Amino acid sequence: MSTLTTADSGTARPLDAAAEVVARRLPRGRRRTTAAVLGGLFLAATCVIMFAPFLWTIMASTKTTREAFANPPVFLYEPTATAFVDLWQTTDFYLYLINTLVVAVITTVVALLVGLPCAYALSRFPGYVSAGLLILALVFRALPRFAVVLPMYDISRALGVYDTTYALAAALIAINQPFTIWLLRNFFAEIPRELDEAAMVDGCTRLQMLRKVMIPLMGPGILTAGIFTFLFGFQEYLTAAILTDTTSKTVPVFIATQLGQTLPMLQQAAAATVLLTIPVIGIAFVAQKYLVAGLNSGAVKG
Amino acid sequence: MRRREFVALTLPSVLVMFGFMLVPLYRTVEWSFERVSYGQAGTFVGLQNYLAALTEPRFGRAVVFTVGLTLVVTVVTICLGYLIATLVNGLGRMRPLVLGILLVSYVIPHVVGAVSFSWLFDSNFGGVANFLLGRLTGGDVLWFTDLWPNRLIIALNVIWSMLPFVMLMILAGLQGVSRETLEAAQIDGAGTLGRHWHVIIPSIRGVLGFAVLISTMDVLRTFDNLIPLAPQAVGLGNESIMLYIYNVAFREGAEDLGLGSAISVLTILIILVLLYPSIRSILKEAKEA
Repeated sequence: MSTLTTADSGTARPLDAAAEVVARRLPRGRRRTTAAVLGGLFLAATCVIMFAPFLWTIMASTKTTREAFANPPVFLYEPTATAFVDLWQTTDFYLYLINTLVVAVITTVVALLVGLPCAYALSRFPGYVSAGLLILALVFRALPRFAVVLPMYDISRALGVYDTTYALAAALIAINQPFTIWLLRNFFAEIPRELDEAAMVDGCTRLQMLRKVMIPLMGPGILTAGIFTFLFGFQEYLTAAILTDTTSKTVPVFIATQLGQTLPMLQQAAAATVLLTIPVIGIAFVAQKYLVAGLNSGAVKG
Repeated sequence: MRRREFVALTLPSVLVMFGFMLVPLYRTVEWSFERVSYGQAGTFVGLQNYLAALTEPRFGRAVVFTVGLTLVVTVVTICLGYLIATLVNGLGRMRPLVLGILLVSYVIPHVVGAVSFSWLFDSNFGGVANFLLGRLTGGDVLWFTDLWPNRLIIALNVIWSMLPFVMLMILAGLQGVSRETLEAAQIDGAGTLGRHWHVIIPSIRGVLGFAVLISTMDVLRTFDNLIPLAPQAVGLGNESIMLYIYNVAFREGAEDLGLGSAISVLTILIILVLLYPSIRSILKEAKEA
């Protein structure tokens, strides 16, 4: 900074040197703008490529069936909602959508209720017991799904709860519990312990303190964990494909089963994709702050 | 905190995890030593399933395919993720918009994303990528029935769905890089590359290591993406380990549960080895506390 202000003011040697520095800086500055332009172009191209599959699906779902499957592809067309109307009228899409939402909501609520106290305890009770639980959670998070889902299929048939939304929700709560407690524990760990002690000195019991002091402070953490568990429940394909059949099928499973079918059904799958993903894309834009926070504190450690 | 309080607070979560994870896991280990089908008691066959898995060439192919895919995807996502995170980190007002667009492939279900992705290459569905490539090269690529083109779109799709997550972890790591050190390096005459190589990368080593671990574990479990993208997976040899388990242990007509379970157990052993450094660091932290 100081070199810039003194460079033009005199002929003394040190100032000459400073002027030289400025002179040398100029081409570098230009180089920096070129780099910035290139970087910006690269980033713009990345955004286009990352968004392209979804854009193409939106286009396919708003064409007529003939245009959607035309080869060479049609780029300009008059949008129509036929595929959406057909999807709604000829399939049980609304049922699958409700199933997906029910599963995601139950999963989120129960996972948080069960996970919060555990995460709090893990952040406040150091030692081998906590470490053991956290390691177990880490291993569970990394398990190949089939190692637990195939026995779940067998057990759920034996218990008569196969193809029910609550069995699927229960499975997902358990499968995602490791992530939930790791994430929440890392958020709890950022709250100073002195706060607990102060509240306890004031006569709160542990549970009162958790409810009246910790939960309000944990607002962003709970929101982050909630968004993630909701997304996981909403996205799950493998577990849902195995534990459900017809009555509690979810939308991702429905879309996958439409694939080998006729062209109109394929186009309905495109419409279903658009209807399913527009709300989550909305989540991505509105709640990106929380997603980033979660990936930062939760994922980086667990 | 007293021990009793700790037990009371952790109990619900521990019950859920033990009841719904450990019990099924025990069943898988048990099945891996049995000849068994769903809903029936199995007969003990010792290590037969493990021997069958290890001598089956199809399993060998699935392992090679999965490990290859994991290596390629992890290397590409880390490099691209680093580049994009650096660029996004320099953004001002555009940042929320760019992050929002980049997050799309992360928030939509993998299987649905892969379906959309497959349509870009499917000439039945207009196949916009096919069309553009055909215009450029004049050739027609069989993306779903030829071995390497199919592998290419699988890898591209897995990269597409993993990239946002890796990029965001690196972006978070970049916030922790010390500004003073960077300025000092600049004054010492370090160029852009030098600053990245000598300052930024060493200081986010932990985050990069963790991103590698997570993406390795996730790609090893690839399953959803292959359902729409690799309809010929078995014939071509583009089966992942998870898809192989599904094909032998669940698909109608082939319910070899014992073999599938043995492969699950073998996969768990691989994962435990990969997780060993993380496990050790958690234990070290516990010892210090």
